[in-house]
Amino acid sequence: MAKQVGADRLGDFYKEGSKVRKRREWRGLADTMYDYSRWLKIMMTLGKFVMKPRNVKAMFRYRWMANYLAVPMMVDRHTQGLRGEYLRICHEEQDLVIDDVAKLLDSLFRGDRRIGNDKKFSDKVVLVDENEMTAVMMGFPTLKCLSRETPSTYVSVLLNQYAACHYIDVAQEFGLAGDVCPMPEAEAGVSIDDDAPVLGACAIQCNTTCDGSLLGNGVISQRLEHEDGIPVFQLAAPLRHREDDVQEYAAQEIRNAIAFIEKHTGVKWDWDAYFECAKRVNYATECRQEWLEMNRTPYPQVFGSNLALYTETNYMAICGRVAAFEKADRKITKLARQAYAKKKMAAKEYRHRAIIWGVQSHYYMDFLVWLLNCWGIVPLTDMLSMVSTRKLVTEDTPKNREQAIYDMAWLTENMIMRNRTHGGYKVLLDELWEFVEMFNADMVILWEHMSCKALDGMHGLFEEKAREKGIHLVWVTHDLFDPRIISRQGVRDQINSYMRTVFNEEPIDPSLEVLPDDKSW
Amino acid sequence: MTTFLHILKTIVIVIAALFALTFTVYIFNLDMKLTAAIEPWLLKHYDKIDRDQHL
Repeated sequence: MAKQVGADRLGDFYKEGSKVRKRREWRGLADTMYDYSRWLKIMMTLGKFVMKPRNVKAMFRYRWMANYLAVPMMVDRHTQGLRGEYLRICHEEQDLVIDDVAKLLDSLFRGDRRIGNDKKFSDKVVLVDENEMTAVMMGFPTLKCLSRETPSTYVSVLLNQYAACHYIDVAQEFGLAGDVCPMPEAEAGVSIDDDAPVLGACAIQCNTTCDGSLLGNGVISQRLEHEDGIPVFQLAAPLRHREDDVQEYAAQEIRNAIAFIEKHTGVKWDWDAYFECAKRVNYATECRQEWLEMNRTPYPQVFGSNLALYTETNYMAICGRVAAFEKADRKITKLARQAYAKKKMAAKEYRHRAIIWGVQSHYYMDFLVWLLNCWGIVPLTDMLSMVSTRKLVTEDTPKNREQAIYDMAWLTENMIMRNRTHGGYKVLLDELWEFVEMFNADMVILWEHMSCKALDGMHGLFEEKAREKGIHLVWVTHDLFDPRIISRQGVRDQINSYMRTVFNEEPIDPSLEVLPDDKSW
Repeated sequence: MTTFLHILKTIVIVIAALFALTFTVYIFNLDMKLTAAIEPWLLKHYDKIDRDQHL
């Protein structure tokens, strides 16, 4: 119970067999009052949400809505041990994401044929995948770009580690393969279980990352098109995205997608809105680059969950379309500069500088903040945060309108995850070692997502290169959305054994080494 | 003046009581303990809903 960073034994907050923690942290007067005020704000956001009868109705209709009971706990997980600027950065991000998801849910239920059934509103809705770059919606400011999978599976599993299990089981009961990625499998499970809101003028699906994703999209679009009467466009972005010869095809896919949306909604593409969004995308890129630049120094500031979860939302789901994220980028950068100038640290000791690579499992656990608090490993950056830094054109000229189509195609090809898991040897393997050098890292934590076939074949190549470069490479096996296969402690134990046997180190906070959070949200 | 002071005193007491109440809920994580108790009941409810389950 103290103001100082690292003064608490964070493991003592856990209780065996309990879903929740014993109490919240006392972080010193100023930080506790700040955290309390943000908790009040979250409670008000949730209160405002449940004031609407249609949202309450949805709560009793959709199983995945039960996970939203755990919203404040998700924030507590990611703010563990944080003080000062780090705590404020985390809240800026998480509170904005919560607000954005609350608005998304409210919109989904407003148009949902089972709940709000607002037909006029539904006719302005374009459904998109969860793991899809929303660049094609940048020029449609009057349409609502909504993802059903984001709240039903992606956010749910951040809230509750077991959120996706029911839907994974449903998908497998209906004969879908059990060895595909649990993310698209759970999304397909939601559709099979008749648990997805039904709305929209049309939908855009994308060949996101893998076989599982294609499988999931097939199941979902079957129901959307043939039963719900919602036409679906398959945006097939090229996988060899670094090759020049695929760019023309990628651009044509964007033109086709825009024409499809125009046809089914009757709304025309708006270039002014597009270029406005493009400016915001560029600003977000500038900020991210500045944060990463700081992370190359001994005093990294925006890293771990603060970098990973926010980038995933801002880069792909927002893509310049929401002005509030620009404001948040500005605030986060200001806080980071402040902390950097004071040479502040987020933990009492930094022992190792790590690059986190591979398809990560921070979905069902707070792994990145745990690494820092337990072992003093600073997660400088992660694979999903190393996305495109290419500047988009922002001036409205005939030449730039053509270039803008290529920019949107580039963003779509370089959506999170697929920009590294596909595109060849260079983007997944070679660039990792470039980042290791760039960030002066001494270790790589390599997620081995056991159901991700895109990466499984590269195991030996990573090991060979790590040996050649003398970098500590720690494999951490997980199953992305399914903690029944590899539990949270199972994930942590892989790090614990490496740190004890290879580095011969003791944890900074021993109370975190083994946590009784098997039953926890 | 007396009425004004009385109103002011009442407002201060109400704010202080609200603060004490919400801060107790916050620090002892009572909000999460309550919702954790609600969840099993909700899950049972979802199991009872008729669904058109199919591929």
